Amino acid sequence: MGYGMVIDQQLCVGCAACTIACKIENNTPVGINWCDKITRTTGKFPDVRYEYISTMCNHCDNAPCVAACPTQAMHKDRQTGLTLHDPKKCIGCKACIVGCPYGVISVNWERPHRHWAQRDRLAEGCFSPREMVEESGGEGSPHGNPERGTTYPVVRPAGTVEKCTFCDHRLAQGLAPACVDACPSGARQFGDIDDPNSEVSKLVARHGGQGLREHLGTRPRVIYIRDYKPQRRFEPARPAGEGQGA
Amino acid sequence: MNSNVSFRDFATPTWILIAVGLVAGGAVGLYEMFFGHLFATNNALVWTLPLVVYIFLALMSTGVSLVLAYGLIMKDASITQHTRPLLIMAIGLLLGGFTALATELGSVLNLVWILLSPNLSSPIWWMGALYSVELVLLIVKLVMDLKGRHGVFDMPLAWGTLVIAAAAAITIGAVFGTVIGRPDYHGAFLSIVTLVSALVSGTAAIVLLRPQSALTETAGRIFRQTALLFAALILMRVAYEAHSTVAGMLGWASIAMLAPFLIAAVLFTLAPRLLSLLGILGVLWVQYSFIITGQLVSLGQTAHWYGAVQSYQPNLAEVLVLVLGIAVAAALIKLGEQFLIERRPAA
Repeated sequence: MGYGMVIDQQLCVGCAACTIACKIENNTPVGINWCDKITRTTGKFPDVRYEYISTMCNHCDNAPCVAACPTQAMHKDRQTGLTLHDPKKCIGCKACIVGCPYGVISVNWERPHRHWAQRDRLAEGCFSPREMVEESGGEGSPHGNPERGTTYPVVRPAGTVEKCTFCDHRLAQGLAPACVDACPSGARQFGDIDDPNSEVSKLVARHGGQGLREHLGTRPRVIYIRDYKPQRRFEPARPAGEGQGA
Repeated sequence: MNSNVSFRDFATPTWILIAVGLVAGGAVGLYEMFFGHLFATNNALVWTLPLVVYIFLALMSTGVSLVLAYGLIMKDASITQHTRPLLIMAIGLLLGGFTALATELGSVLNLVWILLSPNLSSPIWWMGALYSVELVLLIVKLVMDLKGRHGVFDMPLAWGTLVIAAAAAITIGAVFGTVIGRPDYHGAFLSIVTLVSALVSGTAAIVLLRPQSALTETAGRIFRQTALLFAALILMRVAYEAHSTVAGMLGWASIAMLAPFLIAAVLFTLAPRLLSLLGILGVLWVQYSFIITGQLVSLGQTAHWYGAVQSYQPNLAEVLVLVLGIAVAAALIKLGEQFLIERRPAA
């Protein structure tokens, strides 16, 4: 058993719904995105090409961040294959960030969402930021998702790192990661990539595909299939009834 | 305790400078630990001048330890008769480095926690463990020296210090050398750089802070040899970088970096202390350059946030961490000299 994600580049429209859904689900502070993007523009007019590659923690089997972490704060979950982080053990040495070849780990240099702790009001009769948080019953910010707190702090401590967990709190309830559910084109598929009969494994078997910077030996669990080609925009990604199509 | 120490001993320009450094740097350290973040860092450039300060001072301490261990093992009287001042120097420099590291980590407690939840595959854990053992060994040796207990444990302690200090310096290089996917951090070369730079800066510190004729001659000889070796290493690196086909490599070495080491090695006898200081500044330049350059190329999504290649200049708060680390080291060395050097071994 090991979770993995397949991203179909033919189906991805670059709308960034995954990034927004992740931000809301995981209460990431300003300046930190667990799910983000790499964009590349190549070629010369009129033969130009624009690529949008959605990125997040690759939950590598051979994770450099786990090897570099001196305190085992960054660790592999043996049951799920997820690369997880324990902020209670994190000493803020940033070795995981330097070690990660994908640039997907961030530091909370300050206490996250700190402006929501302010009691100063813009004008008399208005809510202060702190009052808005209290009124909404949120944690850290009015829209802090309390469900996030079941496996990871809703507000992470200052001085510690954070990154994508593949929404482990949702997986525990049998749900897919928020970015997968938010994708309007069905470009993201999630499942047990160690099971050859799973949907994600079948997609990789059919289309090939590869992870980012695989030559480094990290064995990433996020696999990208198919480059975008306009002429096959309306081809089905997979046989009818086997999953989501365009 | 040396009973001859009086208040007047602290009313000196050196102590005033140290006090200013402790107050200014300490204010930055306390703010960083309890209030907010002041350093010129971001999520792609995370190790900046404060970490360089730790490595600079820790490696300088390592160099002093290595020279002392060498003297004890080889029974070199020019070194062994300065055992206590050299122990105080090594301890002071190491604690100055730890102070800078605690500021960089944002908490003193993080220095302790690193040892309590070990990950044996992590070079940083080994670095922390080895420097902790090194500090304990140095303190044990100092206490034994203060109590006048010399005998069967001297040689094992000297060998232990030699091995641990060398391993610690090599492990600091491994923290960077074992990183994958960054064009300017890779390979065992960085461990050789850190080990040799420890010897250069350690011997230079001995000449600078302990100018005694016989000791200056011995430490100066090692300094000149290692400075020339260091210059050769940098020249090799310059040649490698000039012909490298590694994509994205910026290169941290430059021909200009050879100058301080060649000048200091060749002209050493003309002005030993001044040229030792030049060697120390040269080592700081090299360490700063390789640590910062390795992070300037943004990886993955961080290129969107900070640009494909970043530039970095330390801000005032980071410079004050350098001042703090040096001030703590200087204060401890001065205190040790004032209170412990004159003390007679117990009967």
